[in-house]
Amino acid sequence: MFIYLDDAMLIKKIRCPKCNEIFTITGDSGVNIKVNCPVCGLAGKFAFPAINAKQDNFAITVQNLKKIYGDLAAVDDISFEVKKGEVFAFLGPNGAGKTTTVEMIESIRQPTKGTITILGRDIKNSFNEVKSKIGILPQEFHSFERLTVRETLDYFSKLYDRRADIDDIILTMDLKDKSNTLYKDLSGGQKQRVGVAISLVNDPEIIFLDEPTTGLDPKARREVWEVIAGLRKRGKTVFLTTHYMEEAEYLADHIAIIHKGKIIAEGSLEDLINKHGKGSLLHIRGCNSYEIIDTLKGRGFETYSQGNGNISVKIEFKERVLDILSILRHECVEYSSIDIRRSNLEEIFLALTGARLSEAT
Amino acid sequence: MINFRFIAADLYSSIRQWLRSIGTVFWTLLFPVLLIIIFGAIFSGAGDVNYDIIVRDLDNSSFSEKFIQILENISVLRLDTGVKDDENISEYMREKDITAALVIPKGFESQLQQAFTNPNITVDIQFYFDPSDQSTTPIIRNIVASTLNEFNMNVTNGRRIIVMNEISTLGEEYDFIDFFVPGIIGFTIMTSCIYGSIERNTKYRKDGILRKLLTMPISRADWILSKMLFMLFLSFISASVILLVGVMAWGLNIEINIFFFVIIVATSFLFSGMGMIISRFVKDEETADMAGGAITFPMMFLAGTFFPLDQMPSFLQTFAQILPLYYVNEALRNAMIYSNVEKSLNFSAFVLIFAAIFFILGIVVTKWKEE
Repeated sequence: MFIYLDDAMLIKKIRCPKCNEIFTITGDSGVNIKVNCPVCGLAGKFAFPAINAKQDNFAITVQNLKKIYGDLAAVDDISFEVKKGEVFAFLGPNGAGKTTTVEMIESIRQPTKGTITILGRDIKNSFNEVKSKIGILPQEFHSFERLTVRETLDYFSKLYDRRADIDDIILTMDLKDKSNTLYKDLSGGQKQRVGVAISLVNDPEIIFLDEPTTGLDPKARREVWEVIAGLRKRGKTVFLTTHYMEEAEYLADHIAIIHKGKIIAEGSLEDLINKHGKGSLLHIRGCNSYEIIDTLKGRGFETYSQGNGNISVKIEFKERVLDILSILRHECVEYSSIDIRRSNLEEIFLALTGARLSEAT
Repeated sequence: MINFRFIAADLYSSIRQWLRSIGTVFWTLLFPVLLIIIFGAIFSGAGDVNYDIIVRDLDNSSFSEKFIQILENISVLRLDTGVKDDENISEYMREKDITAALVIPKGFESQLQQAFTNPNITVDIQFYFDPSDQSTTPIIRNIVASTLNEFNMNVTNGRRIIVMNEISTLGEEYDFIDFFVPGIIGFTIMTSCIYGSIERNTKYRKDGILRKLLTMPISRADWILSKMLFMLFLSFISASVILLVGVMAWGLNIEINIFFFVIIVATSFLFSGMGMIISRFVKDEETADMAGGAITFPMMFLAGTFFPLDQMPSFLQTFAQILPLYYVNEALRNAMIYSNVEKSLNFSAFVLIFAAIFFILGIVVTKWKEE
């Protein structure tokens, strides 16, 4: 059996097990070809993996994934795709099915049904090939208490053939001052940064971070966010599960909201706001004229009275703000303050489920 | 294929972490040493200033009585003169659990009188001793020998007229420490292997380390092999320390043979497997610790670790024979102390069978993947 060395489509670098010659072969996706070593002549076969060309743009594809425990569908027929190089946030309240989903993608749990591919490979049969290309930070992860940060990274890196530079990871994670500190003596935020650092020891293409900021104080949470933002800058694909909407809003290029095992909305933050939110609202506070509501409605604005002289006006385009201000001036309306606020994920979740994200279970 | 690079890295980091945990090092090494010292002192009589010696006077003469009187005046000696003239001295020693005896032969006085005038004549007295008792016998021997020197000095101005003829009883009785040390070795390996397995399989599961390892390119077999090597390292280290202290503090007589190594290896596998089984069914860390205690403590007391089984009620003696630690203790005693090859072989075979059953069962029931 020749040994497959790289990842490129249709062109494969392989090594002859007899003479160790490394040579290149070409072929079509999903096709078996006969191979002869150009040096020793050893004959063999090589099967090019069947890879959908479309999937090459995606780090992860999930199709009709289902996990059933007894009568409960913890994950109920979900499908989504994660593009290479993006931060994908899997957002939902506790118990929504986030960790079950990510653990099925990481091959820790067996799906009841469905297909998962990572970097074009169906993990059902090829997860071992994928292992060296992914890094994971499990939920509530704690490393070995009596190893220092450097020893911990050194230990985990020895499990891989492909290894990133430990010093570089320590610098990137801002752990240089703590590199000789025992894990047990680190703060919560530092421990999580070490957890992320461990997931990088094999220089992975995809990093799974399962609720990386749960239980951290706001400062530590912000530190971890900066680390994740840094990963995106380095071209890594990040699969982030979280129940913090601010985290998804701050970090994600693409968001999937899961509720009771089903994906109820998916897209970029802009897409979600445009599709499911009220868009941006201009809030006029301390307004002395309620007649202005009719005037604005007459000019085509969706307007809501909030009581006590407070009025909200939906803004579909940024340019319409100037039109509203112009109308107010023209109508000699007085007010105490004006501000513009965009819909957020909490409102979207509320609109979709009737419950607040922070309170839903 | 075995991943030696991982195994080396894992073994190295395990040893490093173990050395940094003062508590673990204490329980693995110092605690058994303390047990040996404390129990050894209690049962070997090191804290007692009296040493028993049997004295049989077959001469009943004024000289022999004078000599016995000198011995009686030594405060640390407690003389037992109850042995009958026709009684086997070795059997009497075993019966009384006394490891030294002095026999003054018939004709002691007349031979002494001849020796006074003839410098070529010496008079023998017999000193019987149990060679398996290295803690008290040497002390009694020294006391008797110096008493004889003093007697020679007073009676003959220093000429060596009375000679102590030492006779080993080759006793089958062994000192408590001989019994105790193999038990402590078995007990220490049992606790470190069971609790080591519990820690790996419950704490590492709770901390997400097992989930992490599942997604890394290592096999479960490599992980288990590496951890077993670490447990073997701990087992041999703790057994060595215990033996060293036993020899240095209590003059323990041991024999290190192939059985010793086989039993230590098999015992490590046996109790590691038992720990895996416990942590499979009791997943919570604290509860698993308690379950470990519930199994190790009764076994420790009922399997003849501290006390010979024949001192226990018969139903408990029967019960002990279903406990794996009983076979470990007996196998170690027969291999290291009693040098009984047949019994070593039999008990070692039982330990190997238990080890195979528990370790295979442990591997089968241990799961990394979530349901």
